[in-house]
Parts: sequence; C-alpha cells; structure tokens
Amino acid sequence: MFDIGTISLVLLVAMLVLLAIGMPLGFASAFLGVGVLFMKFGPDFLFGNFGQGPLNILSQRIYGLLTDYVLISIPLFIFMANLLERSGIAGEMYNSLNVWLNRTRGGIAIVTSIMAVIMAAMSGIIGGEVVLLGLIALPQMLRLGYNQNLAIGTICASGSLGTMIPPSIVLIMYGLITETSIKALFTASFLPGLMLASFFIIYIIVVTNLDPSKAPLPEKKEGEPEGLKKAGLFGTFLAIIVAGFSGILLLRVLFFTVTGQNVAVEGVEPISLGSPDYILKFGIVFAVAMAVLFLVAGKQATATAWDMGKGLVAPIVVIGVVLGSIYGGITGITEAAGMGVIAVFFIAALLHRPFPEWLELLKARGVPIAIVLAVVLGLAFGVDKITGFGFAESSVFLGFIVLFGATLRVGSMSELVMDSLKRTLKSTGKIIWVTIGATALAGAYTIAGGPTYIANTIVGADLPTMGIILVMMVIFLFLGAFMDWVGIVLLVMPVFLPIVLKLPVEELGFIGELNPRHVAVWFGVVFCMNMQVSFLSPPFGPAAFYLKSVAPPHITLTDIFKGFLPFIGIQLLALSVLLVWPNMISIFL
Amino acid sequence: MQDKIKGIVGELGWPLLFLTMMGYLAWYLPHLIIAFGGADANGAIVHDYRSANIGDYLVVLVLAVALVMGVRTATTSAIEDDIDGFFDRVSVFFGRVTALLISILVFVMLFEVVLRYIFEKPTLWANELSLWMAGFIFLLAGLYAMQQRSHIRIFLLYDLFPRPLQKLADTVSVVLIWAFTVAMIWGAYNEAKAKLLRWETFGTAFDPPIPATLKSMVLIVITLVAIQALSNLIADWSKAPQHHSPVDEDEIAELKHELEEQLHLNKDDEAKV
Repeated sequence: MFDIGTISLVLLVAMLVLLAIGMPLGFASAFLGVGVLFMKFGPDFLFGNFGQGPLNILSQRIYGLLTDYVLISIPLFIFMANLLERSGIAGEMYNSLNVWLNRTRGGIAIVTSIMAVIMAAMSGIIGGEVVLLGLIALPQMLRLGYNQNLAIGTICASGSLGTMIPPSIVLIMYGLITETSIKALFTASFLPGLMLASFFIIYIIVVTNLDPSKAPLPEKKEGEPEGLKKAGLFGTFLAIIVAGFSGILLLRVLFFTVTGQNVAVEGVEPISLGSPDYILKFGIVFAVAMAVLFLVAGKQATATAWDMGKGLVAPIVVIGVVLGSIYGGITGITEAAGMGVIAVFFIAALLHRPFPEWLELLKARGVPIAIVLAVVLGLAFGVDKITGFGFAESSVFLGFIVLFGATLRVGSMSELVMDSLKRTLKSTGKIIWVTIGATALAGAYTIAGGPTYIANTIVGADLPTMGIILVMMVIFLFLGAFMDWVGIVLLVMPVFLPIVLKLPVEELGFIGELNPRHVAVWFGVVFCMNMQVSFLSPPFGPAAFYLKSVAPPHITLTDIFKGFLPFIGIQLLALSVLLVWPNMISIFL
Repeated sequence: MQDKIKGIVGELGWPLLFLTMMGYLAWYLPHLIIAFGGADANGAIVHDYRSANIGDYLVVLVLAVALVMGVRTATTSAIEDDIDGFFDRVSVFFGRVTALLISILVFVMLFEVVLRYIFEKPTLWANELSLWMAGFIFLLAGLYAMQQRSHIRIFLLYDLFPRPLQKLADTVSVVLIWAFTVAMIWGAYNEAKAKLLRWETFGTAFDPPIPATLKSMVLIVITLVAIQALSNLIADWSKAPQHHSPVDEDEIAELKHELEEQLHLNKDDEAKV
C-alpha cells in the first residue's frame, strides 16, 4: 500500500509516541508489527479471510523464537544470578580478597574491582552485583575515610561489568538476534572486558597514590603477616588451587581412560583435556604443586594460606563450571547455564555451615546415609526391571531426587530457591516478551523490505565509514540513557548491523585490519561496551538507583552521578580503543 | 521447619497436581481429540491413538479441580505485587506452575549432562523436553510479569502526565494490546487449529508434539495476557499516581534485608571465634 520510506517514517514516529505514553515496550513493538503489515498489504488482503493471511508471519516468527535452544540459557543465567546474590558467596569472597590487599594503598577499592570481575565471570546480569558491593564494600570504604566519589564510582562502574565479561546475557541476546556465534562473542569480549576492568584498577592506583588522603590505610592488626611473607602465603594458596584443579582434571582423565571413553577415533574431535597423554601432564603439575605445599611451604603455612583464601574457592569452582563448560567445549551455553545453577545451589547449601561441621555431620549420619543409598539403588534396580528405564538412568534419577530433597532442607534453602524462582520468572517475562514483540516487528519490517532500504540509503549516501560508526555510537549512548539494553539490541540492531556489514571492512578502525568474518562479533562487543556506559549515564543509569537504595541517606543521586564522571570517561576511553583497534577482539578467536 | 514445609506445599501443591495432569494431557491429548470427533477419520492419529476412556476423563476432572482450587488459594508473598485485579489469581497460579517448570527444566538438564558425560548414555528425550518446556516457560513468564507490572516501560514522560492523561495513556495501551491479540488470532488461528487436531510432532526420535501444543499456546497465552492487561487497567484505575524508579525498589529492599542478616550472621561467627 505505502512505500517502504513512508512505512519507516510512520513506524519511527509511532514507536516514539507509544513509548512516550508508557506502553510496555514488547507490546508496543508487537502492535507496530501489525501496523507495518497493515501499511504494506492494506486491510483487504490482511483481514480478508479469518484464520489466515500475512498476519500469520507474526506467529511464525514468535514460534521460531520460542523453539530456539539457546534462548533457554537466559532464564537459567538469571536464575543462577538470583541464587548467587543470596548465597553468601560474595561476603566470603570479600573477606578473602581483603586479607591479601588490605595493606595496599586504595586496597578496598581494588578489592571491589577484582571482586566485581570475579562476580561478572560468574553471572551475566547487572543489578544485584552493585547492590552486593554497595552493602559490603561501601560501608568499609566510608568508615576508613575513602573519598566518597571514588568509592561510589568504583562500586557502580565495576559492578556493571557483569554484562561485559562472559557469560553475558547482552551478548547472548545479540548473538540470537544477529545469528552470530555466542561462543565467539564470549571469547572476543574477554579481552576488552578485562581491559576495561584493568583501566578501572589503574585509575584507582594512580589517583590514590597521587593523593593518599583519598584512600587512607586501615590500622595495622597484631600478628598479621606482612610484605614478603604475605606474598609467600599467596603463592602457597595458588599452589593449593593448582593442586586442586590438576588433581580433579587428573582424576577426570583417569576416569575416561579406565572407562575407555577417550580412545582416539578418526574424525571425532577428542575430549578436550581428556586424551590419555594428559595423564602425564596433569600428573606432573599435580606433583609439583603438592611438592611446593609439603616441601617448600610446610603444613603450617599451607593451613594459614588456605584459611586466608578459602572464600575464593567457591567462585573459582562456579567459574570453572560455567566458563570451563563453554570454552572447554564440554557443553553448550545452555547446559553450562544449567550446571551453573546446580553448582551455585549446592554451594549455597554448603555455606550454611563451616566445612568441619559438615564432615562431622557426615560421620554422625553415616549409617542412615548408607541405608538411603542402598534403598535408592534397590529401587533403581526395581524400576529398571519393571519399566526398562535402565539401571544407570533410574539410580541417577532417584539419587538426584533424594539429594535435592536433602539440600532443600538445609537452613533456608527452600525459601531461597522459591524467592529466586519468582524473581527469575519476573525478569524472564520482562526480557522474553520484549524479544517476542521485537521479533514480530522485525519479521514484519523485513517482509516490508525495511532493513535493506535503510542499509542502502545509508551506504549509498557515501559517508565516511568511521563517521557512520561514530554516529551509531552516539545513537547507542543516547538511547542507552533512556532505554533498557534489551530494547536497543532488539529494535536497533536489526537495522544497524546490516549497515555495518555492508561497510568496507578495511576502513573499520585505524590500527590493524579486521577479519571480514569477525565484523559482527566486533560490533557485538562494541555494543556491549556502549551498554556499560548506559548503566552509569544520567538521568536513568540503573547502577545509580541500585546504589542509592543501599547507600547511607546523605548520599544523593546527584552525588552518585558526580562520582560516576571519571569512570564514564574511562569507559569511553575503552570504547575508543575498541574502535581504533578492532582487531583486538580477534586475538583469542 | 515444619511450618515452612507446610507453607511451600500449600503454595505449590495444587500447581504441582495441575502440572502432573497437564503433563499427561500434553502427551495423550489425541485421546480426547478423537473422542470429541476433532480428528480427521483418515488421519494418522486415529491409527496411533485410542479414543478417550474413563482414565482420560478422570485426568481432565482432576486437572479442572486443581485449576479451580489452585486459582482460589493463590496468594502472593512479600516480594511480589499484591492480588487486586479480577484476573490476578489466575496469573499468580500460572506463575507458580511456571516456577515448577523451571526447576524441572534444570533437573532434566542435569540428568542429561550426568548421563551423557559420566555414563555415556545420552538420552533421546532430554534436550527436546527442555525445548518444549522452555516454550511454555517463556510464554507464561510474560503473563506473570504482566500481573506483577514488571514489563519494560519508559516512564520518562509518563510520570510527568497528570493522572487523567495517564489513565488515557493506559487505556490506549490496553486497546492496542487487544488489537495485537485480535490480529494474531486472525492470522494464526487456522494453522494452530490444524496442527493441534493433526497432532503435529517435532519429527525426531523422541517426537514431542511441540508444533501441536506450542502453536496454540502462543494464541492462548497472548489472550490471557491481554485479559490480564485489562484487569490491571481496572485495578489501577482509581489508584493515585505512582512513582516509578528504573529499578525494582521492593526487590532491592528485600535483598538488602537478606544480605544484612547474612553479613550480621558472619560477624557473629567471627565474634565467636
């Protein structure tokens, strides 16, 4: 009916109007999807016959989205983050990190940043992290007399790293919408994410050393290890971690070898870190680490080091499970998220008591546990005989039911899980339905020829390549100040990415040349970096509101945004590095 | 401890019963389709399935009882928005069902990973079952989010409007949501109906009826969401203008409370040592 230029213009205006009147974003997009089809095909064709017609495209697109396996990782990552925030892992981790760095200038601020990076590597969302850091680190920094702006900026800027360092649901969404490999996006965003975090830490070190009054040191405690001794203890702790990991990996390889799973088969990719030759490699590493512990450090120092660092073990395990599964090629993103949920669930239960108490409990209840185990195996045998479900299957199934039942009875675990589920449901509904609406709209707009039209118009206008990219950055930053990231990735990306892909690749950036296949990945990481700014930028930067709700009342929103300024500057610096040197993302790809 | 368990059984008992019956029907619905004459006499499902017997009708009866009782007893906890619209109880009930589905999804995934990587006995069904359940989770989560008023909106201008103008804006939103719902049904009704009656399956070894069930669920849940939107409009009509923060303040207050308890506990531990 109308030409695509008119449709695009009407669409843009209508979207702005609907958003201004506060219509939920997902439904506004969904309705506009209908609107686009109406303008394209006219009422007669669209509503000619009940039950069919071009409107079916909307339902097709939505069905396609709902049956996308990767999308399942989103509720799972949200669930995991919700459990994580309430699990007590964060508090323990803070204590452990603080022990190592409390004599360093700006120590707590550095600890905050490091802790944020570790949490970011566990969870893919932001919000809870800022609240956690605000509750744990802010009171300490203010009590020691840290500069208020520095404290606020450190917490919020580092707390926003959740979506920059993998796993990140921003990148998952981007990957889904643009059909880019999510694993490649995770790998590519690693370096830029760490770069941003290290910029924060460098800034903290420089500022606090130039003006020590901004970060006074705490009082010295009696009998605390110092200087070199502390470094030695840290080395010992590292040796413990290395011994633990190589020990587990060694057992894994041995298990594979004993069961014969890792016999090399032509054409089948070998299990990563699982082929028989790794027995020797892990064996040597394990032996060296154990030798360091027993011969160099000694029992006493090992015990002290373990005590100082044990809060870091749980996060390392969770990161190992999630990122290890993804990068090790063991499972896909979705299973990795599911395993993350399970790991955090059990760790949260374990943190209810100190470790020795658990051992005692296990000893005291040895007989009942053995009986339950025997009953489970007996039942499994029966189930296998009657239904033919398989002995391994039945015993795993029944065993897990017993294990989960027992875990849910630990302390407040059942409430923790129930509350986390409710929150997960809320956030999932929020994100998925924006996706549903945007998918409907994108489907309709593509049928109408929209993305091609816009890409041709922009590319045909003969603008300088980096000029176009810069304009896009300004649009992202502007939208990010008012709108949730999910809306931007869903509504703007389908228009922007085709343009970027049509730009001459050799003109992207100034240093090095990007592999043409990596352009979509690069743009995803660039987008993620933009969204880092949006979490802090006034007037709606969510990090500020999260912090406000947990900060002492005398700290106003204006104070908080003032504290953000240098950190927004750092984020923009990191963004420019990424624009000037796009090849940075290819280093690990 | 006992009270706690009672509370959770009270909250999840009916949803669990409903889900169990629904699970049966999701697999054996063709029995009822044949009994009610919906099936094509020459179609494949007449060959593969029998007609409904007393057992199937009993399942439907229990399902109906669980639904009615579950909806009647649905309550919200401190971290959720209260029940005040006419449709809220239905949405909260389905919210509980969906929460159960998420836990089952995690369980199925763990089961599959353990069997595949430790016992080398991958299942044929776990991945497709996850996919099937996830479709329902995604759809129903939106219904719950609508009842909880947590769909993403931009309040920049809306909060500046005088209350009558806000009411007008809300009315426009609901009307447009209904327009979308009608358009969806208009375009997809025939296809969804045909796939349901033909009991179209996924075409794999496990062969779950994902197209048959999910295509109709899309239309059903969108209609439920539209009803919930209307319910919200009516429930909020005479409320005073509300302040909207970009973050969920109740949720943070709750989290803060929990963490303070936790940190406090830690300090007690240290004091003991």
